[in-house]
Amino acid sequence: MTGKRRWTWLLGVLAMAAGFSMMVAAYSAAGTKHKTAATKPIGTLRAVIDTIDYLDPQQAYTGQSWWAMWNVYETLLTYRHVDGPGGYKLVPGLAQSLPTVSRNGKVYKFKLRKGLKYSNGAPVKASDFKWAIKRGFLAQGQGVGFYTDIAGAEAYSKNPTPGGNIPGIIVNNKKRTITIKLVSPRGDFLTILALLFAAPVPGSTGPEIQNGSIPGTGPYYFASYDPNRSFVMVRNKYFKPNRFIPRGTPNRVEVSLIGDANTATQKVSSGQADYSNGAIPPDRIADAKSKGHLVLRQTANTYYFWMNIREAPFNKLKVRQAVNMAINRKSMQTLVWGGLGQSTQNVLPPTYPSYKKLNLYPYNLAKAKQLINQAGAKGAAVKVWTRQVSDAVTAATYYQSVLNAIGLNATLTILPRATYYTTIGNVNTHAQTGWARWLEDYPHPLDWFDVLLNGERITDQDNNNYAWYTNKKTNKEIDQLKKAPVLTPSVNKRWAAVEKQIMQQAPWAPWSNRVFPEYFTKQIGCIHIQRLYGIDLARLCRK
Amino acid sequence: MAEPATDLTPLEDNAALLAAEEHEVQIVGRSPTYLAWRRLRRNYVALFSLGVFLLIVIACCLAPVYARHIAHTGPNTIHSSEQVRVSGKLRQVVGGGSYYDAKTNTFVVRAVSVLGPTWWHAHGRFVLGADSLGRDVAVRMLYGGLNSLKVGIGSAFICSFFAIVLALIAGYSRGWPDWIISRFFDLIWAFPVLLLAIAIGSALQVNGFHHFGINIEPGSIWIPLLVISYVLIPYIGRPLRGQILSLREKEFIEASVGQGASPLRIMFSDLLPNVASTALVFFTLIIASNILTEAGLSYLGAGVQPPEPSWGNLIADGQDHIRTAPWLAIIPGLAVVLTVLSMNIFGDGLRDALDPRAKVRVEH
Repeated sequence: MTGKRRWTWLLGVLAMAAGFSMMVAAYSAAGTKHKTAATKPIGTLRAVIDTIDYLDPQQAYTGQSWWAMWNVYETLLTYRHVDGPGGYKLVPGLAQSLPTVSRNGKVYKFKLRKGLKYSNGAPVKASDFKWAIKRGFLAQGQGVGFYTDIAGAEAYSKNPTPGGNIPGIIVNNKKRTITIKLVSPRGDFLTILALLFAAPVPGSTGPEIQNGSIPGTGPYYFASYDPNRSFVMVRNKYFKPNRFIPRGTPNRVEVSLIGDANTATQKVSSGQADYSNGAIPPDRIADAKSKGHLVLRQTANTYYFWMNIREAPFNKLKVRQAVNMAINRKSMQTLVWGGLGQSTQNVLPPTYPSYKKLNLYPYNLAKAKQLINQAGAKGAAVKVWTRQVSDAVTAATYYQSVLNAIGLNATLTILPRATYYTTIGNVNTHAQTGWARWLEDYPHPLDWFDVLLNGERITDQDNNNYAWYTNKKTNKEIDQLKKAPVLTPSVNKRWAAVEKQIMQQAPWAPWSNRVFPEYFTKQIGCIHIQRLYGIDLARLCRK
Repeated sequence: MAEPATDLTPLEDNAALLAAEEHEVQIVGRSPTYLAWRRLRRNYVALFSLGVFLLIVIACCLAPVYARHIAHTGPNTIHSSEQVRVSGKLRQVVGGGSYYDAKTNTFVVRAVSVLGPTWWHAHGRFVLGADSLGRDVAVRMLYGGLNSLKVGIGSAFICSFFAIVLALIAGYSRGWPDWIISRFFDLIWAFPVLLLAIAIGSALQVNGFHHFGINIEPGSIWIPLLVISYVLIPYIGRPLRGQILSLREKEFIEASVGQGASPLRIMFSDLLPNVASTALVFFTLIIASNILTEAGLSYLGAGVQPPEPSWGNLIADGQDHIRTAPWLAIIPGLAVVLTVLSMNIFGDGLRDALDPRAKVRVEH
């Protein structure tokens, strides 16, 4: 090959290589372009949610508040931003790693990640965690009951002062370590630490309720809050994403607080909002499906009617069993939420590994009437309590008609939403029966059985055990299981046995595990559902 | 033949003629009631309105008869899982809806369909359709009307009674009783009616009223009835008190006092008949106002409590289905409008008939 030919050949090869590279580049560019078009980031997400209680981590106790705050306030441990059962897995949040736990299950040691900052640029200190727990007690936050097993917390709760000490929490700001000592081992303690009640807040934060003004540690912070109307979340420039907590996709989230289901649905249907997590009226579900994008979210919840075993006629087992038999659970799903729910007779929702389907009370109206007669309760006056929310009133109206159909003399009492639980949870109300629901705080059977049905936790005020149910054998078993650190198959089996034991006594008439419709405009994509917190707003994108 | 001469002057002639006429056509004294009735019966719009109102009242009073013999159901009976034959075809009262498909482990999303008006094609059942719980709307409408009228008319009676008594005491006694009663009127007057009614109504709905030997259970119809009576007392009491204060200075009252009549006798025999026409007009106008207040209270959940129907809570229930079943809200809404309008027009007519110069108006 001559020199000229060699050069020509070389140039040809180079040209081909360049051409091929350009083709590859063009192809990848096209692919990237295509990919970008599919997942355009959202500038501003306009969301509509039902009313919230607070935007203060030590105070908020509603699903709506937690939905927003999960991306604002990080806890030592948190849950993965993934769909499905994986969302129940605890992962390090502000902590560097999962804690070391002593053999006796009483001491937990954490170390904070390096370089953590609040949305105002201030560093996150280990002492901020201690202050958050103290702040909860000082402000009588709704979640303080979860932390009384920390050594010294019970004593502190009796006389809380800002300068007081909870000796069971030892912090070292220089070493960024937090050591927590418990009075007795508690199997669900790590999940309790993942609750937003334990989210660290700056030491300078006062104990009074501060809605939306406390700087965040998550991907967003609250830029403004207009009570009962709206709030705005803006990206936190000091947040550093890690493999468990992603940076949020929307730059800004504008949230309107709308309690009326029709208005909330209309906002999305008309394109005035991108997303609504409010209830959709049953007769508008099909319309919503055609106009937007309807996603069904299955969360751990149980809707039930409680029967106070201390009050006549529900102090008789036969009456409670009769009520369980008289409810047409299938029909109720259609009447109350247009069929978006599953009938149940269990306390636990089916998402739990401890769940074992119960069918103790098949629908039988004739037998129910017979049981009422046998119990001598025919014509007994019964007051059914419910709260002033559309679905609760519908369910209770149906329940009242069922009680009348089996021979009781039932009337309905509807209380305002804000005072309902405190009224029925007060011993002096002597509430006989009524509507209630429970949505999990954290994924552990203790959150159900210990909080709602352990007779040893009954209090005269703010009682969560509305059936005033107590049973020595059950109480003892719950206390035993509380110490089990891990939910092994044998532990799950024992929980299932506890559930069956309780339901044989029928203090509740559970009737639904509801499915929540989430409504988006057709332009919104990347919809992911986190088991505990619902729609993951940090990962939403525009199609 | 010439006419016979007369010795009467023309003036005397006219007087005689008039006297003769007077002798033939006797002038009859007319009572104020008769005069009012004569004026009222010429006001056809007012009479028509009264007719409409009476028709509504009669229809609502016949609610139990309609429910038992025509619709064959009660106002709170749920028929969600039943089927009804409409024009020969079987139709589900509440049908459709989403369901869980165990095979695919997903929910199949479908709309819920509720039976619409059957217009007598179902032998009187569900004439105006069913609500979301499968209850007969026509039956609930009539029972709702009955409850609304009970509250409206009942509270008008109670309210008028106390307002008249207080106004008589204040206007006649003057001095410190007048001061106390007037301040009481001012106190209630200072609050917006609906807001005060909601506050009292909501508070009583929790535990009822159990004082002074009176026991009213939460959810009782007596709660909205008494709440509305209470909050509207000054709206009748204040103007009546003013009228009585001015009557108190008239000669006939002084004459009664001079004759040694007791205060009670003066109040009820002399003063009350003189304000009766005003009180009557107020009574008719306040019925309309009370029905409207009851509807507002029940709409907001502080009036008649579900499942008992009233026009207000039927509107509230229907509002959730305004796009798919608009009749659920429109029909009770129309009933409220018709009742209030008819009572207001009749009240105005009655006012014009009783005292055309009066300016009686219920304002709040």
